[in-house]
Amino acid sequence: MIEVADLSKQYGTIQAVKKLTFHVDRGEIVGFLGPNGAGKTTTMRMLTTYLTPTSGRASISGHDVLDEALEVRKKVGYLPENVPLYPEMRVREYLSYRAQLKDVPRSKRRSAIDYVLERCGLADFDRRILGQLSKGYRQRVGLAESLIHDPDLLILDEPTAGLDPIQVREVRALIRELGGKHTILLSTHIMTEVEAVCGRVILIAAGRIAIDDRIERIQTENAIVLQARGPENAMKKALESAPKVRRVTTLNDSGGVATFEIQTEDGVDLREELAHRLVHNGWALRQLDLRRSSLEERFVRAVADASVRVDQPESGAA
Amino acid sequence: MSVRHLFPLFRRELASYFLGPMAFLVLLAFQGIAWFNFWDLLERLDRNRATVSGLRDPLNFYLSGSVPFWIALMIALPALTMRLISEENRSGTIETLLTVPITEGEVVISKWLAGVVMYIVMLMPFIIYLPFLYVQGKFHFDIGPFISLSIGMLSLGLMFVAIGLFFSSLTRNQIVAAIWTFLTFFLFIFLTEAAYGYALAKQERWAELMQFLSVLNQVHAFAIGQLDLRILSVHFSICALMLFLTIKVVEWRRA
Repeated sequence: MIEVADLSKQYGTIQAVKKLTFHVDRGEIVGFLGPNGAGKTTTMRMLTTYLTPTSGRASISGHDVLDEALEVRKKVGYLPENVPLYPEMRVREYLSYRAQLKDVPRSKRRSAIDYVLERCGLADFDRRILGQLSKGYRQRVGLAESLIHDPDLLILDEPTAGLDPIQVREVRALIRELGGKHTILLSTHIMTEVEAVCGRVILIAAGRIAIDDRIERIQTENAIVLQARGPENAMKKALESAPKVRRVTTLNDSGGVATFEIQTEDGVDLREELAHRLVHNGWALRQLDLRRSSLEERFVRAVADASVRVDQPESGAA
Repeated sequence: MSVRHLFPLFRRELASYFLGPMAFLVLLAFQGIAWFNFWDLLERLDRNRATVSGLRDPLNFYLSGSVPFWIALMIALPALTMRLISEENRSGTIETLLTVPITEGEVVISKWLAGVVMYIVMLMPFIIYLPFLYVQGKFHFDIGPFISLSIGMLSLGLMFVAIGLFFSSLTRNQIVAAIWTFLTFFLFIFLTEAAYGYALAKQERWAELMQFLSVLNQVHAFAIGQLDLRILSVHFSICALMLFLTIKVVEWRRA
C-alpha cells in the first residue's frame, strides 16, 4: 500500500526527514509516533503529495508521489494537523464542495455525505457554520471530509489532538472500525493511543526510524531488574554467563549495592536462574523484578538514543 | 485542467466574497461614486450644451476621466484580490486544496475568474444609470464607444486581477499582498501618466511609449471609441504572464 525508500526532506539547512524506509501493507493500522519536530508531519505531507521530497521515493498503491501525484491524491484521504477549514461554510456545504473536488459522482454525492455525517456523529450538525464549531467537531468534520471519497488509505495527522476524553474514545473507536476497510497511517505523540488503536508502530526520532515493529512484540519485551550486594563487575559477569541472557546493563552502583537490568532472548523469564547464580556466589539478593517494558519506556529510550546519535557525527557524512 | 473542478472552486470563491463584508463595502463605495458622477454629468448636460465638453465625450466624463473612480479602483481592487490565495496560505486550507485530485492551474484559474467576476460586479453601478440617461433622459449617446469602453475595461480587469492574484500568492498576509498590488496599480495608472507628461514636456523620444503604456490614456482612447488591439494584446500578455507566475509560485511552495 505504502512504499517508502530513502525518503528525505531538507528545508534549507535543516534536514527534517532522513532517509526513511518503510512499507505498510493493505489493511494495517500503523501508528506514526515521535516527539514534536521528529518529522512526522513532513513525512505525511510528502505521502499526500503536499510537499515534494528532496530525495528518495515514495509510492502509494504503486503510484509515485512525484510522477503521479493526482493518482495518489485520489487514493488518499488526509486529515491535516489542526484541521484547516473555511470558517464561512456550513458542514454539509463544505462536504459537498470537497466531494466535488474529489470527483465523487453526482449520483453518489448525497449518500456519501449522509454516510460520513452519520459515521462521524455529525448527523445533527450538517447546517452548522464551520467557524462556530468546537475543536472536537472540527476534528470530526475533518475526518468526515477525509472519508468522503472512500479512499484506500487514510492519513491522519494527530486525529485526537485537542479532544475531550469521551471524544477521544469515540474517534479511536471510529478509527478501529475504519481499519477493517481502509489502510490507516496516523500520527500521534500519545503512547496509549497507539496501544489502543494500532497494530504496528513506527517511531521516528530526529528524522529517522528508531523502532518499526508490531505492538505485541514491543509489549512482550521483558526486562528483569535485579539488585544485589556485592562487587559490580563480578556480579555482572555471573549474570551475563547465564544462558539466554541478551544484555546486562548496570543501572546503579553505589555503596556496594548494584542494580542491573537484564534483557533476555524472546523475553524468557530467568528470575529463578539468575537469583540462584547470585546466591550461590554468596551475594545478597535485595530486589528481583520482572518489568514489562511499556511502549512509553521504549519511546523515551529510542528518542534518547536517537539524539545521542545525532550529536555524534556519522562516519562518512560531511 | 478540467471544467468539472473549476466550477465548484469558482463558486466557493465567489460565495466567500458575499459571506463577508468586503464585497458589499466595495459595491457601496462604487455605487456612491457612480451616483455622484452621474449627477455631475446631468448637471453639465443640462447647462449650455455647446460649451460643455461632457457633451462631446460623456463616457470619459462619467467614468474614465473621473479621478475618484480611479482612486477607488486602486484601493478596492487590491482589497478584493488580496485574500484570494494569501488567506489559504495563512489558514492552511491550501494544504487541503493541494491534496485533492486538482491541479495548481485549476486552483489559480478559478480564483482569477472569481476575481474577474467581482471586478465586473464592482463596475455594475456605473452601468445601471446609463439606460435612464438614454431612455428617460432622451440623451442618445453613441453605443459604439460604450461597447469599446466595456471591452477595454474588461481586458484591463483581467490584467489587474491577475496582478493582484500574483501578489496574493506570494504571502500569507493579506495586507502585504494589498500594498504590493496597490503600488503596481499606482505605477500603471498614475506614474506612467506622470512620466508621459514629463517626457512630453522635455520632448523625450520615449514619450510615445509612456503614452501607450499609460492606463489612463488607454482607457481614454477606449471611451472615445478607439478599440486598439495592440493595447488589448498588452493586457492579455501581462495577464497570461501573471497567471503563469502565480501557478509557479503555488507549485514552488510545495518544494
